[in-house]
Amino acid sequence: MTIGRRFIPYWLLLPGAVWLILFFVVPMYFMGELALRSGTFETGFTFDWQFSNFPDSLEGNEEQIIRSFWYAGVATILALLIAYPLAYAIALQSGRWKLLLLFAVIAPFFTTYLIRTIAWKTILADSSPVVDILQALALIPDDGRVLATSGAVIAGLTYNFLPFMILPIYASIERLDLRLVEAAKDLYASSRQAFLRVTLPMTAPGIVAGVLLTFIPAYGDYVNAAILGGTNQAMIGNRIQSLYLFQRDYPEAAALSFLMMALILVVVLVYIRAAGTEAFMGEDEER
Amino acid sequence: MSNQSKQSFTRKWRWLAGAAAGLAAALVLAACGGDDVGGEREGDVEVAEGGRPTGEITISQWPGYIDPGSNGTVAEFEQRFGVNVNYIEDVNDNVQFFGKLQPQLDQGQSGGRSLFVVTDWMAKQMYDLGYLQEFSHEDLQTVFDNILPQFEESDSDPERKFSIPWQGGLTGIWVNTNQAPEIRAVEDLFDPKYKGKVTMLAEMRDTMPLVMQSQGIDVENATTDDWLNTIDLLREAADSGQIRRFTGNEYTEDLTSGNVVAAIGWSGDASLIGREGIEWRRPTDGCDTFFDQMVIPVGAPNTAAALAFMNFAYRPEVQADIATYVNYVTPVEGVQEILLQRDPELGRNELIFPPPELTEGCTADPNPPGSAEDQQEVTEEYQDLITG
Repeated sequence: MTIGRRFIPYWLLLPGAVWLILFFVVPMYFMGELALRSGTFETGFTFDWQFSNFPDSLEGNEEQIIRSFWYAGVATILALLIAYPLAYAIALQSGRWKLLLLFAVIAPFFTTYLIRTIAWKTILADSSPVVDILQALALIPDDGRVLATSGAVIAGLTYNFLPFMILPIYASIERLDLRLVEAAKDLYASSRQAFLRVTLPMTAPGIVAGVLLTFIPAYGDYVNAAILGGTNQAMIGNRIQSLYLFQRDYPEAAALSFLMMALILVVVLVYIRAAGTEAFMGEDEER
Repeated sequence: MSNQSKQSFTRKWRWLAGAAAGLAAALVLAACGGDDVGGEREGDVEVAEGGRPTGEITISQWPGYIDPGSNGTVAEFEQRFGVNVNYIEDVNDNVQFFGKLQPQLDQGQSGGRSLFVVTDWMAKQMYDLGYLQEFSHEDLQTVFDNILPQFEESDSDPERKFSIPWQGGLTGIWVNTNQAPEIRAVEDLFDPKYKGKVTMLAEMRDTMPLVMQSQGIDVENATTDDWLNTIDLLREAADSGQIRRFTGNEYTEDLTSGNVVAAIGWSGDASLIGREGIEWRRPTDGCDTFFDQMVIPVGAPNTAAALAFMNFAYRPEVQADIATYVNYVTPVEGVQEILLQRDPELGRNELIFPPPELTEGCTADPNPPGSAEDQQEVTEEYQDLITG
């Protein structure tokens, strides 16, 4: 092998590595350095290894941290429950409508995130037909509302992150070898058993990917809570936004961001372990 | 080569490549990092240059603060001076706007804006941080010829070096008279009957004085504890769901859609509320006035055109057009006479020409008291409150 060819893998990695360094490593460094500063905005922030910023930043924010877990978790589960049947139907049962249905699912998301969320403000307004129907069905009290409640924020999160759940699951179902399902049925499995013991495990990689792609950004989201929520629906993202943009307490905002990143990392690692690395990597289990 | 030595050769290269990358990264970081963060902007105060206006300018403004359309003030200005105006209404809240612009202003840039309008206390804060340009009175003849005497100086800008009044008004309560006709005081906003149907302003200097006055606190002599106790009161109301949310200018959307029956809001926003039966009321238990200022930021392109716009806005006929649409208090002399001729009812409109009784005893967007740390504490507590 010539020397040049030996370096081909590195050359191929180079764009990705440069991207990671410029847009991940360097910002991480700056944020970490910022988190160790002290002072006020008016007098300037000086670097003095202020590690106390990290525990200090958690004070008063516990409610929002737990709330963010709750909202993101419920939104992820709801998205999964909606996305899986939808992806299944599109992949396996739509015949010649497949591309059209896929487009119909994706098309609304060509609109900007912010506009879609603001549109939900109109859909869920107190005087809208949707709220009237919900009141008629006794799902909310007659003088109740949907906007500025947890329900609205969770609905917004579910809706906005739905394509991140649908597409990986769809891709996974598409790749399913249907002959295996057929084989299961030949071996006297009922439809339900075939689904639970063949289809579901084989599409697990898509589910894991979808869950991660939904939960992680939903946890840090602040747009839905700001637009659809009220005074009791703030998520940790709103807190960090307030600390950074409005209170201009940069070190605390940076410290809180770091802690949240570490928290999510731990959660994701635990999840991947629980889901099993085979499910994550999509490799067949050795029997 | 044999397999073994090939592997160790690759490993050595991998280490070298990794080390080189690490070194490069460290050098890059060392070159870029370590600057001061926050604090006053370094550099001298710029003075805006005058001259003949040409080209184009970008103006950032609050929503509903000028008469719009092809007969509006902006269009008129464009025609008179041949300047292309990009008029964007992206100021929703002083603190939000500041947060958005601060990183650029710190670097001496304005994001393309030649002029924007913020409330007087924010203008002073920005000036103290070195984010605004000064201007000379020679370039603003029309302004200083026509400005009403009471606005020639102000507490925040005694020599009128960096801010020129745009419009002002009162902070009070907007009430949906069909659904909540009896709301006349800030205290009424805490009535459980209207739980979840009330909003307050995210602006601390608007909401806090009103609520403190409704609690019988003398705002001029209030202590830091008074402010903090009032914030606790508001927090209780927010936690219980009494206050639906704290808003910037978007409270008008909630009023229009019927989500809310009463909101603390600004007196001249009628043009932004698209629903019948909603009127502004001066609260019986307190009031607050504010005055917004035109300022020129550092790094503003085309300051000549910005200064020309300020002069243009101070022509009485132009102000009369603005006041007709906007219903806010005008700082220009001679407007009342013009309006009385055009539309006598408008000329007597108390929101545009408030009589002394209306503004008596009103606070004026006060800062929290005490040292810088005390003010910081109050500001942070209030921010925590409105974030939720």
